[in-house]
Parts: sequence; C-alpha cells; structure tokens
Amino acid sequence: MNLFLAAAFSFAVTLIPMAGSAAEAPQPNVDQPAVSDLDLPYVYTDWKQYTVEDGLPNDHIFAIDVDGPWVWIGTEDGLARLDKRTGEIRSWREKDGLPWRVVSAIAADPDTGEVWLGMFGGGLARFSGGRFDHFHQLNSGLVNDVVYGVCIENENIWAATTAGASRYNTRTGEWTIYTEKNAPMEEIWNYGCSYADGKVYLGVWGSGVLEFDVATEHWKDYLDPDGEMEIDLYRDDGIVHVITTGVSYVDKTLWITTYFGASRYDGRHWRGYFEKDSGSPSDFHNAVKARSANEAWFSTDKGLAQVADFPTDTWVVYTTDHASHTGQAVISRGDRVLETRTIPPNIPHNYVLWTAIDGDDLWVGTSKGLAHAKGTGYFPGLRRGADQAETQKPEKQETNRGGS
Amino acid sequence: MRNTVKDTLLMTCLILALIVVAPFARADDSGTTDNTTEPLDTETVLEAIDVDSHEVPDLPLKKSSNYASSAVDVEPFGHVEPYTEHFLEQLEYTGPGRAKPEPESLDTVKIGFLGPIVPTVSVATGGQSHEEPLGIAMLRGARMAIDEANGAGGYHRRQLPFELVVHNDNGLWGASGNEIVDLAYIDNVWAIIGTIDGANSHIAIRVALKAEILMINTGDTDPTFIETNIPWVVRTIGDDRQQNYLLLDYLYRKQGYERVAIIRASNRYGRFGVRELLDGSRRLGHPIVIEMAYPVGGEDFSLQIDRIAEAEPQAIVHWGDGVDGARILNQIRERGLDQPFFCSDRCASDEFVSLAGDHAEEVFSTYPWNPHREDPVLERFRHDFKERYGVEPDTYAAHAYDGTNLLIWAIQNAGLNRAKIRDLLAYRSDPWPGVTGDIPLNAAMDDAGEVFMTRWDGEGWRYYSREDLEIPGGFIAPETRQERQSLTTSDTGGETQ
Repeated sequence: MNLFLAAAFSFAVTLIPMAGSAAEAPQPNVDQPAVSDLDLPYVYTDWKQYTVEDGLPNDHIFAIDVDGPWVWIGTEDGLARLDKRTGEIRSWREKDGLPWRVVSAIAADPDTGEVWLGMFGGGLARFSGGRFDHFHQLNSGLVNDVVYGVCIENENIWAATTAGASRYNTRTGEWTIYTEKNAPMEEIWNYGCSYADGKVYLGVWGSGVLEFDVATEHWKDYLDPDGEMEIDLYRDDGIVHVITTGVSYVDKTLWITTYFGASRYDGRHWRGYFEKDSGSPSDFHNAVKARSANEAWFSTDKGLAQVADFPTDTWVVYTTDHASHTGQAVISRGDRVLETRTIPPNIPHNYVLWTAIDGDDLWVGTSKGLAHAKGTGYFPGLRRGADQAETQKPEKQETNRGGS
Repeated sequence: MRNTVKDTLLMTCLILALIVVAPFARADDSGTTDNTTEPLDTETVLEAIDVDSHEVPDLPLKKSSNYASSAVDVEPFGHVEPYTEHFLEQLEYTGPGRAKPEPESLDTVKIGFLGPIVPTVSVATGGQSHEEPLGIAMLRGARMAIDEANGAGGYHRRQLPFELVVHNDNGLWGASGNEIVDLAYIDNVWAIIGTIDGANSHIAIRVALKAEILMINTGDTDPTFIETNIPWVVRTIGDDRQQNYLLLDYLYRKQGYERVAIIRASNRYGRFGVRELLDGSRRLGHPIVIEMAYPVGGEDFSLQIDRIAEAEPQAIVHWGDGVDGARILNQIRERGLDQPFFCSDRCASDEFVSLAGDHAEEVFSTYPWNPHREDPVLERFRHDFKERYGVEPDTYAAHAYDGTNLLIWAIQNAGLNRAKIRDLLAYRSDPWPGVTGDIPLNAAMDDAGEVFMTRWDGEGWRYYSREDLEIPGGFIAPETRQERQSLTTSDTGGETQ
C-alpha cells in the first residue's frame, strides 16, 4: 500500500514542474546598489562587561534605557543605575523601596528626569527624586500588573501589559485602557511599545503590530497577511508572524521582531528576515532597537545581530565564546558570510534580551550580564575596508574582562 | 495567460493525485510524520545537559516533516510553496539556566498548579466562570499523581516530599499572568501544570518564557497554544486541530456530506476550536454553510437554530461546553431538525447525557483519548481514582495525572533545575506511557498521539478509533512542503519552468 501511495504522489509531483511554478518567491523591495565585498560596516571591538561582581543586583538583564550620564538597568532582582562618567553602579531592591523585584521595562523621560519602570507582575512605578510611586491594577487604571513594555509619548506614559495597554496622562492623572473593546487587538497580549513622530506602536503577541495615531486617536493594525501560524507564505508581503515580541519606530521606518523572524516596513515596502536568508543567527528574537531606517539591532537567543546597512542587506553578528575567551563578529551580506573577525569578548552571554542605543555606543542586556560597546569612530552604512580598518583602531583593549 | 494554463495543469495534477490516493490515507501506519533524528536515552540526555552557563547541549533536535500530520489537501495555501514552514524543528533553550545549582535548604519539592477551581465573574472568562468542574477534575488528577509519588518516597535524591502549590486562574482580568509570576518568584516552584482556558494559557506561557520555567499543559486543546514557539511549553493532550482533522475525515471522506453547519461557543474555546474544521472544509471543497456563535451559558438558542435551519445543512457540529451542547441539541430536535449532531469532547460528559436524555444517543463527539483501552495501568488508575473521589476520572483528571507523572519523572532525573527539567522533556524520544495512552511529544513539544470519537449508547460511552470506524484520511506527505518542491525540481534537472 505504501508503495502505491508513494508512486501516486511521485506521479503528481513529477507532473508539477511541467506546469511551472505556481508562485515564485517575491524579490526584495529595494534595488540593491552596486556594492563590493570590500564595502564593510563598522564593527564594535571595544567592549566592557558588567555583572554582579561589578555591582549589578542581578545578571539577568531585561531592560535598559539611557538618560544623559545615567544608564538605567532593569534586572530580574532589582533596578540599577550606572554612571557612565565613573562606572559606579547603584542599585535598588525591594528593601530599598522598589515595589517589585523584577524590572522588565524602563523608559527614562529626558524632559522630567523621571524614570518609568514596568515590572513583571508588579505593575508600573515612577522613580523620581529618590521615591518610587507605585501604580498597579488595584489602585490605578493600569490594566494588568505584568508589564512588558513602557514608552513615553508627550506627557503620556504607555504600558504594554499582558492584558491590554494603558495610557497614563502625567498632567491630568487620567488613565485610558486599550483592549479588544476599543482597539483592533485580536489578542490583548501586549509586549512592546515605541513612540516617534506622533505615532505609538504596540507589538502585540498574537495581534501583530498596532499603530496609534496620537493626533486622530485612530488605530491601524499590521497582521501577517497569510493568517496562518505554521507558515509564512511570502517573505515580503507583511509582518512575518503575528506573535510579535518587539517594535522600534525610527525615521518613519518600523522594525519588528517575532519568535519566527523579523520584519522592516518603510511605509510602502515590507521586508522579512529569517535565519535561512539573512545574517541573523536565529529566528527567535527577544527585542529590536533601531538606530535609523537603515540600521537595527536584534536581541536573539544566539547572539546580538545587526542589520548594519539595509540597502545592501549587510549584517554583523556578535557572539562570545566563553571557553576560548574570544569574541566573534561575523559580517555577511544576506546569508553569505563576507568575513569572520576574531575580536575580544563582547557580550557576556549569547542569550540577548535587550539593546539600547546611546549615541555611537551600545548597551546590551543578556541573561548573564550587561555589555557596553564603545563606538569610537563609528560610522553608519558601509566603507571601503582599508579606510574602515584605519578608522577603527581601538583606543584601548584592556576594557574587556575576558568573559564573565 | 501562460501562467493561467500552467496553474490549471498544476492544480489538475494535484487533484488527480489526491483523488487516487485520498481513500487510502496515511503516510505510515502510525499516522504521524514526526520523527527524531536519533533516539536518545535518558543517560545520554543527562550527560549532555550537564553544561556550564555558556554552553548549549550538543544533542540532536527532533525534526518533523509535517506539522501536526496535516493531510496535503488541508494544508493552508496548498497550491503554493510557502516561503517558510514553522514548528518542524525542536526549539532550543540557549540561556544559562542549566548551570544553576540545586538549592540546599528545602523542605519540599514544589510543583505549581494553575487551574480554574474557584468560581468567579470576570472579563477573562467571558462573565460567569464555567470551567470549575474541569479544573477540579484536573486538580484531582494532579493531586493523585503527587500523592502516589510521595508514597513511593518523594524526590528520590533527597527524600523530600513533592508539594502541589495550587493557584486559581480565573480571577481578575489577565490574572493567570500574575499567578505564574507568584508561582515562579514567590512560591519558587520547579515547574507548573496548567491550565484549561485558552486565553489564560497563552498569558501564562508568556510569563513562563520570561521567568524561564516549564509549563506542562494538560487541559487546553487550543491549537494555537503550542504555536507560539516558546521552548518552555509542553502539552500532553491531543488538541482541537487533531480532533478537527478526525472529524473532517469522518464528515467528508467517510459520510460524504457536502453541507455542514457549525454552532459554537462565543469564546476562545469555540472560536479556535473550529478553526481547522472551517479551513479544512473549505479546502476540501465543502465550505461550512453557516457558523453561528452563542453566548456561553445561554438558555435560548432559537436565533442560531433558525439561521442554521435556513442554511439546510446535512450535519451540525457543536463546539462548546457539554451543558450548552445538550440544550442546543434538545432545541434543535424540538425545532424538528433531524440532522446528525457532532460535538467537541466537552459533550462527552455525564451532564450532557443527563440534559440531552435520549437525544444523547445520536451524538458523536471527538475525544482526545480512549478511556476503555485495555491497559492494567489505566484500570488501576480508574479504580484508585473512583475509590478516592467517588467518580470516574474524566479527560481532565486523566491528562493531569499523566502530565504530573511526566513532570515528576523529569524532576527525578534532572534534579532541581528548571532548565534541565525542561530538557528532559524536550529531548525525550520515547512516548510517555500514560493512562491516556502513549504521549509522543513532537518537535513542537505537543502531544502527537492518536485521538478518538465517542458515542453514548444508552448505557455508557463507547470509544472508536479511526480504524474502528474505518475513517479514511487524506494523504500525509513524508516530506516537508519545501522538500516536495525540491523533489520536483531535481526530477526535472532543476528546471521549474
């Protein structure tokens, strides 16, 4: 019987190519500019790692935000503040007034100096003047205490929670709750939040990305066009999957991460990224942070991945081999590796949870510590290799501790 | 024009092939295309997962050629080669958790339980909660497994008793997330069993992923639960996708119906429970003629039944709770409709029979296991359960018993380390021999075992396998969809045009 089945199926599949391909993979939306393998991106080589030995309250880093000289770090057991000028780290735990131990999201308001903390099961907190103000689902309009993302939109604070989004007006004290009742949330499991240019973007697990226009208070949703969980039908037809984990909106370009790949949308063209067709080391993305329309950083479970130059599909992936105390930067164009550079250890663990951009520098949160990448001589896009090597001579190498 | 001709010829070839092979069904005797690259014994897994915080175990990952053993004629967008297929390779955990040492001072080994056990009125459950009987049954099954393990010496390595830490999951809006946080960070349990409601389960596993703690689901049949790509989730019950596939084959391939109607609960269980039935019916050329939703716990279903009557279906499928199903069935018969009535597994309950009376004997329900399988272990479980609780174990009790035993097995072998407990299940090659039957975990760590149909015969439930009812199935291809495309390309020397 099995032989019969195999024969029948083989008969069918043998005939298929005679009929031609029913559907051909779409081509990239952006024309590839002329580029040579000598055109390479900037590679970060000057890294410093921080762990509990340096004063962090915990090595499991969930969130980072930078505000002037301060780097705010949310961990699985406390909040930390690193002074970039001195390297000094101060931390707060529950015994110090932090309302809950797990800090899963941070947004520092550059206008007020207030730091907003999303807490994993602990609600939302405002840290200001040395005091924590605690907002939770029993004393405020916070829709749920499991907060995955926080962002600041004008005088409003948005909290992406596991059961909807809340918007808190810091001037009037008014709360607005968004769920499937008043927003196009097929599911209510909010995960990420990003604000720029009058638009708030929510990454919603099971509901793609939602765009909130602040001026009109209208919503727009971005869903996987094929609507199927087990496939992505076409790469560049929209968001690659509705299980969205991160969103970053910069230069009118939207970068999106999922546990199935990543997407970029410039308002007209979509581009999908998978491990199999790009420089990304994994399809499992915990978060994304964009520096520009052409550059974004992906926090994956197998390293820190960067789209270094979107038009040429050039990537850099950073990993550290703890056993050999060396780091690696793999430069690729699409899935073709151009160069693998051995560099000093970079990220303290290859399971990356968060990336924050600080001018030319980077701060990277992993499940085993924090990393600071100094961007001396950083340049966007690509340069001819010889010029770049000259530009990138590190000022000093002793900043690397040789792994955690 | 040229493409149109090509497409027509292509579709004709596929249809011809399917007509030829469809009556003979499956890819292999087990009906599954899940496979492991090589079998792994427990010792090999334990040795490989003994790594430092920066290493990832060097073990082969399970691979499947076909997600959920879907027949080719019910695959989504079957005429197109998808750019990417998901859930075909086992998920990895690449974090540092395996290096955490076992804590020294412990009085018990805590296992979390999350289930609907206390009645509430909440938005999360769509108003008045209704799943407590299922949650209580689930709790009973889990407790029994814990007590038996403790009777056998508890946690063997340190002679500590197991402790079930019980949390209710249907309180405030999104409460399951808060409960998992409490279980992970305050109760410090080693893994969690739960839950039943699809929405609450989804909320819970998002928290489990971030907290890095294993969740074993024994009662949520929502297909999308496992389709989230979270490496911390295991399910030990056949889901609604599998039950839909069996029902599709029964309705169309065996009975030859062409017009089927759906009436379902207006909640996540009803909405996602019929998803593959809706899609599969359309893909088989028999779109569902009408789908009507009703509020859970309603009394009057005349609006839905009137609309269904107008659609003149040949058969009606209900997906919802047993009580609602019985009321709907009675009102359908009172209305004079005599179409065959099919139900989801929640109708296979004493409550359904009690309310539906003689009408119950006409109903076929899908069911995730066969409680009448001849198995001394199952017999002992049924006997002990009835002796302890005074009732027969239902599906929620039996699956919770299996899931808890599977978890205890993992803890006994892995020790008290959340990541290693997860690894023992992720890399397990052999099916778990449960009282509900063999539970093979596929690449997505979902129960890929057989599902059944059941019918009340006036004296008791009778359970039927696909083979018992001679239900033909669609052809399950032994290659991935992309491999199939490669085959066609290589057969013609690489030419696809």
